[in-house]
Amino acid sequence: MATASTPEKTAGLMSRASKSAKASDDQLRFLPWLFLAPALIIYSVVVVYPMIYSSWLSLFRWDGVAPTKVFVGLENYGILLTQNDVFWVALKNNAIWLVAALLLPTSTGLGLAILLNSKFRGSHIFRSIFYFPSVLSLAVVGLIWTWIYHPDLGLLNQALTAAGLKAFTRNWLSDPNIALYPVILAATWNAVGLPMLLFLAGLQTIPEELHEAAKVEGAGPVRRFLYVTFPLLRETTLVVLAITAINALKAYDIIYAMTNGGPANRTQLLSTWMYFLTYNYNQVGLGTAIAVVLFLLTLMFAIPYIRFMTRKT
Amino acid sequence: MSQPLSQNASAPGKSTKVILFYAGLILATLFWLAPVITLILTALKDAGDFAVNGAFSLPKFIRWANFSEAWETGVKNYFWNSVLVTGFKVPIGIALESMAAFALTHMHFKWADRIFTYILIGLIVPMQMTLVPLTLLMNALNLIDTLTGLTILYIGFGVPFGVLVMRGFFRTVPVAIIEAARIDGCSWWKIFYRIALPLALPAVVSLCILDGVATWNEFILAQIFLRSDELRTLPLGLVQFSTQFSTQYDQLAAAVLISVVPIVLVFLFCQRYFVAGIGGAVK
Repeated sequence: MATASTPEKTAGLMSRASKSAKASDDQLRFLPWLFLAPALIIYSVVVVYPMIYSSWLSLFRWDGVAPTKVFVGLENYGILLTQNDVFWVALKNNAIWLVAALLLPTSTGLGLAILLNSKFRGSHIFRSIFYFPSVLSLAVVGLIWTWIYHPDLGLLNQALTAAGLKAFTRNWLSDPNIALYPVILAATWNAVGLPMLLFLAGLQTIPEELHEAAKVEGAGPVRRFLYVTFPLLRETTLVVLAITAINALKAYDIIYAMTNGGPANRTQLLSTWMYFLTYNYNQVGLGTAIAVVLFLLTLMFAIPYIRFMTRKT
Repeated sequence: MSQPLSQNASAPGKSTKVILFYAGLILATLFWLAPVITLILTALKDAGDFAVNGAFSLPKFIRWANFSEAWETGVKNYFWNSVLVTGFKVPIGIALESMAAFALTHMHFKWADRIFTYILIGLIVPMQMTLVPLTLLMNALNLIDTLTGLTILYIGFGVPFGVLVMRGFFRTVPVAIIEAARIDGCSWWKIFYRIALPLALPAVVSLCILDGVATWNEFILAQIFLRSDELRTLPLGLVQFSTQFSTQYDQLAAAVLISVVPIVLVFLFCQRYFVAGIGGAVK
């Protein structure tokens, strides 16, 4: 203790120290809440409360404007299942989209990751190139691909004509029987980057010695992939599949930018049909019921994923 | 499979293999980038040239005026709106998210796991689940058709991903450092912004970039909550632009290209942060 300090000063210091030690015990209880409060409050108000309120609203018949809502129980869900044909079209389209998303971007991403994981000159540049479409907004991706599919001026029909395959040219986005598939292809272009990146990260955790050992044992590239690489990528694969599925069910912008649900509602997804019912036809009850259905579909993939994310704590 | 190809190129058979390998890869790249190349070629062309020669041909002459015309017809507004929203959303969001993530990782908080799970739900909620109640709420608060309102929504929806990424990185900050600071009498607030946050700086940068790109690209909330043309952000404005000027492909392509330039720049200069950020989110 410094000689210059008066007894009063010393006493003051000591009491402050013990006070702060005591305060820190109390603090420990409420201080974390203080750190959490801003994020938790805005998140609860903007995301959680609307989610719960939407589920509640799906039990009412309401046009969104009238002061009174009529409680109808599960009637909206009944109407969707029995009377709303577009709902079934949208559900089927979502299913097709989901299957495509689980197959195409994932396998392409895996293939690219394996190819680009080897350290040849320029591998980093190629990684960036293949990842690039993923940083574009889906609205922009939709606009770019709309030109590609343009019946006269689009790259696709021009290339087909130039290759002597004029018979295969068509008005890609106006043909009700096929319009969904060109949109899925455009979405795939955007969706490959994330699985590629995740698989690359996964591959880098596999020790080189394992491959060397397998090589010494006489395993060719295919067998090394099947028996060394792939089993060790199992965790990554699960994460990739869950994230792609969740993202696939969120698809919305690209439909809006490319077909707007048409022709004749044949490319509606649950997400876009929810928008149409709610904001164009003022069927708020039906719209929110669709949102709930979409959420339940997402949960099928999300529950295992969230379990995985919180498992290590 | 993971052989360093270029280094084994001495044997004659190998070198043809290498050439074939690169040729194949470059072909695949061209194929992959064809939509972007088309976009650039279209943006540089004059409308007549486009109508006659189609999308995939070199421009007869380069018409830079497409860009200035697109800029003046409205892209300028959309662009600055996007800058404004992203510029406010990202820093405010990261401040809130990192505070929350710090509390969840280092403050010995017995509710931490439950709160984290509660926050993760936000990652999977389809936007459609929230639209109607949010419309009512924003109406009541007079925030419909304002950039402020949109920014608030973006901050709320950004919380789950931000907390996830920041938590992933805070967990790598050694507990010993935090404990040592506690023993030295450092307050939690000081530990957060003087020790933990600087140590997590790479995470902050990663999150800035991922979040910035996501905000720049966001569509559905902007579509629902912005009504007047002069407030539209880029993705929304571009789609609107495309329905209004559906035949002026040259200008539309220029507009799209303008909207993409900031993203490309960020991507080119900060690539490793993309990888780090996405890695942090799934760790």
